[in-house]
Amino acid sequence: MLSVLLLLAAWWAVAAWAGDPRTMPSPWEVTERIAGLAASGELWLHAGATLLRVLASFAIAMALGTALGLWMGRARAADRWLNPVLVIGLNMPALVVIVLAYIWIGLNEVAAVTAVALNKIPVTAVMLREGSRALRPDLDDMARVFRMGAWSRLRHVVLPQLAPHVAAAARAGLSLIWKIVLVVEFLGRSNGVGFKIHLLFSSFDVAGVLAWALAFVAVMLAIDLLVLRPWEAGANRWRRDEA
Amino acid sequence: MRLELTGKSFAGRPVLGPLHLTVERGQRMAVLGPSGIGKSTLLRILAGLDRDFGGRLESREKVAVVFQEPVLLPWQRAVANITLPTGCTEAEARRLMAEVGLAGQEDKFPRQLSLGQQRRLSLARAFAARPDILLMDEPFASLDRETAGRMMDLTARLLDRSGAGLVLITHDAAEASGLGAELFRLAGSPAALVRDERAG
Repeated sequence: MLSVLLLLAAWWAVAAWAGDPRTMPSPWEVTERIAGLAASGELWLHAGATLLRVLASFAIAMALGTALGLWMGRARAADRWLNPVLVIGLNMPALVVIVLAYIWIGLNEVAAVTAVALNKIPVTAVMLREGSRALRPDLDDMARVFRMGAWSRLRHVVLPQLAPHVAAAARAGLSLIWKIVLVVEFLGRSNGVGFKIHLLFSSFDVAGVLAWALAFVAVMLAIDLLVLRPWEAGANRWRRDEA
Repeated sequence: MRLELTGKSFAGRPVLGPLHLTVERGQRMAVLGPSGIGKSTLLRILAGLDRDFGGRLESREKVAVVFQEPVLLPWQRAVANITLPTGCTEAEARRLMAEVGLAGQEDKFPRQLSLGQQRRLSLARAFAARPDILLMDEPFASLDRETAGRMMDLTARLLDRSGAGLVLITHDAAEASGLGAELFRLAGSPAALVRDERAG
């Protein structure tokens, strides 16, 4: 909290020193812009469009990245074959993937979501692969001896062990994904926070750019506090001592 | 259950030599031997957990294992540690927990139970699977004498009632006698299974 206040104070000081609200608006001016956008309804419309893209890409990237990471962590042959593809995926610039997706699939929602998901899948896969390598073999033996079904084994034996890795991948993933979604919108969508920033960039409206960016950071912060943290607390309940 | 083993090696080093082993419902046998001789390897082969061996395992019987460590799901409450792996009903799980002296502990997580309680939970889980043959790997190790004695009585009672066969891996002949098991010994290199004559 103190660090946020210090950051605000520094911002205020720099804005006052610059003395030019067009290049460096004060926090107060940006807050006023956010309030105006919220009151007009524009904020909810565009932030909503961005949020939907973030959620769709996030769900696809987490599901496919987890499955891929689990497979590579458990099967040495899969790891050997897929590792080069994963390294290429990790090092491919996001911009290249986005441009190619727009060219090959078209300037549409499918291309936008696919491009973002493709950027995130390798990161999730690497994190989950490391987690899968650390799965407890004794629990595997137990599940095999008692002939637990594949789904039951995944749900009750494997995924709970991976929960900390899934949580880390989810947190890192959300912050990465929303930044890529903005680029996707900047380049080829007609709504969303990225699209609005594109418009404001052409008129050099710094207060507007900061207003949209900070408003969406607040949305992501809310998701972290209201969704991710409670889920993590629930998943880690068994670690706590109870009477 | 019938095992015709021609040999088992680890990285080219033979551990178990040729051996024949047959066990059926109602029959109890104990395999003794010093640490590292291959007792647990033999149990893993019988349980179907290690298929990389020379020979043949024929087993139509339902098998359950009590591992050396309790091997419980730490994120599941005690009662779910029985119902989830075995598929038995919650009522059956609660009944078995009461039988092993864990009534009232159903909603606790494993780490909230003592080691003795965790082992009894693991025993209840094995019987919940309604096995024809129960495989036990040093199940009384690292328990104090009194707790080990209680758990042995409990195991004998559950075996009597269910009629399940038993293969007990242990280094303590007294444990085997306590459960009325026929004594066998793993000896030599690679190890072979011989009937323990001293125990008669």
